[in-house]
Amino acid sequence: MNPVFRPVRELAEAVRTRQVSPVALAEAFLERLERLGPRYNAVVTVTRQRALVEARRAEGEIAAGAWRGPLHGIPYGAKDLLATAGGIPTTWGAAPLRAQRFDFDATVVRRLEQAGAVLVAKLAMVELAGGMGYRQPNASFTGPGISPWGADAWSGGSSSGSGSAVAAGLVPFAIGSETWGSILSPAANCGVSGLRPTYGRVSRHGAMALCWTLDKLGPLALTAEDCGLVLDAIAGPDPHDPTAAARAFRYADGDVVGRRFRFGVIRDVAAGAEDAVRDAFAHSLEVLRKIGTVEEVTIADLPYEAITRTILMAEAASAFEEMIESGAIAGLTAPEDRFTAYARDAILAKDYIKAQRLRGLVVREADRVLSSVDALVAPGRPALASPLDREFRSAARGNVPDVMGAIGNAAGLPAIAVPNGRSPGGLPTGLQFMGRAWEENTVLAAARAWQGITDYHLHHPPEVS
Amino acid sequence: MSAPVPDPAEIDLRLALVRHRYGDRLTPEQLDALREAVQGLVEQVAALRKVRLTNADEPLQRFSPFRADE
Repeated sequence: MNPVFRPVRELAEAVRTRQVSPVALAEAFLERLERLGPRYNAVVTVTRQRALVEARRAEGEIAAGAWRGPLHGIPYGAKDLLATAGGIPTTWGAAPLRAQRFDFDATVVRRLEQAGAVLVAKLAMVELAGGMGYRQPNASFTGPGISPWGADAWSGGSSSGSGSAVAAGLVPFAIGSETWGSILSPAANCGVSGLRPTYGRVSRHGAMALCWTLDKLGPLALTAEDCGLVLDAIAGPDPHDPTAAARAFRYADGDVVGRRFRFGVIRDVAAGAEDAVRDAFAHSLEVLRKIGTVEEVTIADLPYEAITRTILMAEAASAFEEMIESGAIAGLTAPEDRFTAYARDAILAKDYIKAQRLRGLVVREADRVLSSVDALVAPGRPALASPLDREFRSAARGNVPDVMGAIGNAAGLPAIAVPNGRSPGGLPTGLQFMGRAWEENTVLAAARAWQGITDYHLHHPPEVS
Repeated sequence: MSAPVPDPAEIDLRLALVRHRYGDRLTPEQLDALREAVQGLVEQVAALRKVRLTNADEPLQRFSPFRADE
């Protein structure tokens, strides 16, 4: 079988029944990573040696009848902010850290290894996950991330390689991270599914810290179903991360056919979006009425974006204090990343604390609105993938509204972005479902139902199909 | 929520700290860009200050006392 563009569930069944071997799978994706990865600036390190060791181990275990579950023998890529042992670099996308190495695996990497998954690559990302204020795609020492849907289209950030590698069939799934938009944005730009879990659902141990109270790790994959399978493996408490919740998570993969959902739409949520995004969203609302109700909801007038942005800027300035104050940021790739963070010294402690106090209002307001619906829906990202040489609009910088992103990240809520159309120029658009805290299974069910009645997720970039 | 008008004096004062700490490594163009960034920041925190809170509205960050043996 050709394993490329097969969902994890299908690959898992082929592995379990020994129609395909984990070593053959690893070899197939390693070859694609080495051949096609550079085309999209998607890869930092192909972890060939580790991959083959893990794949041979999986092959032996499965041959002995010890199948660990749906990720056993399945290759994946990890955003290069997740620590990996064995001499594999962990660069955080930053030129000054090209040689950085850790002597341990991040908890997420360790959990995936326990599930039998095979690490085939460390994937490219925006330097320091975009925390220094980048304004254009060329902000990584591996070059601007390129969407497989257009040679001049940005793959999104900051989990650039995680999005493009899945979209180009270089890996069946990938791990990304989101502080504000870094999973949903590449999912939308690359036409794949990306799940941002509830804050605390997945341990951040071993992941680069950008903002301690905003950072989340989550999967990008071809389908919402695959995102659920991956989350099942990586979620759970961790003594190394005090913010990892004690709540257990099991992916609920029951049939969603015939299930009816209540969807909410914040008034004017797509008002600032580009035409193609707004048109696709309007059409999506009509389609969603086949699987549920769609109602407009109102939300209290609060400075959501200013709250989230203040927290992000202040925590990032502290997280990278040494790099900023020493001047090491001068070695970053994006010219604006070499000095913009100096402005963060002008944030007062009182400003940050006020933002954290207002966050209390945000979480209560978000929960009030979400308690009456299964999910809020909105565009996955307000803009199409921007050209590589142009400044993009960014909610984190404040030049495009993103109330869903601001609320969802400040309140730590789960959301999934899935493909919902393409622009006249052929670039993908995304649709997001955002739920109450700890309701990943609800947003996954809604996204699975969406993918049960649409076929956007079955289309792949023509160049690599 | 309408955007508050930034106070030019506050922008100057906050920018002065940035210039004091890092001015020796910045070009005039970078300083201009930082003024713009500080202005955005002042607008942003003005929006936060416009919302009144009560004494009981605590920061949404939990502090936990620590014992190594627990």
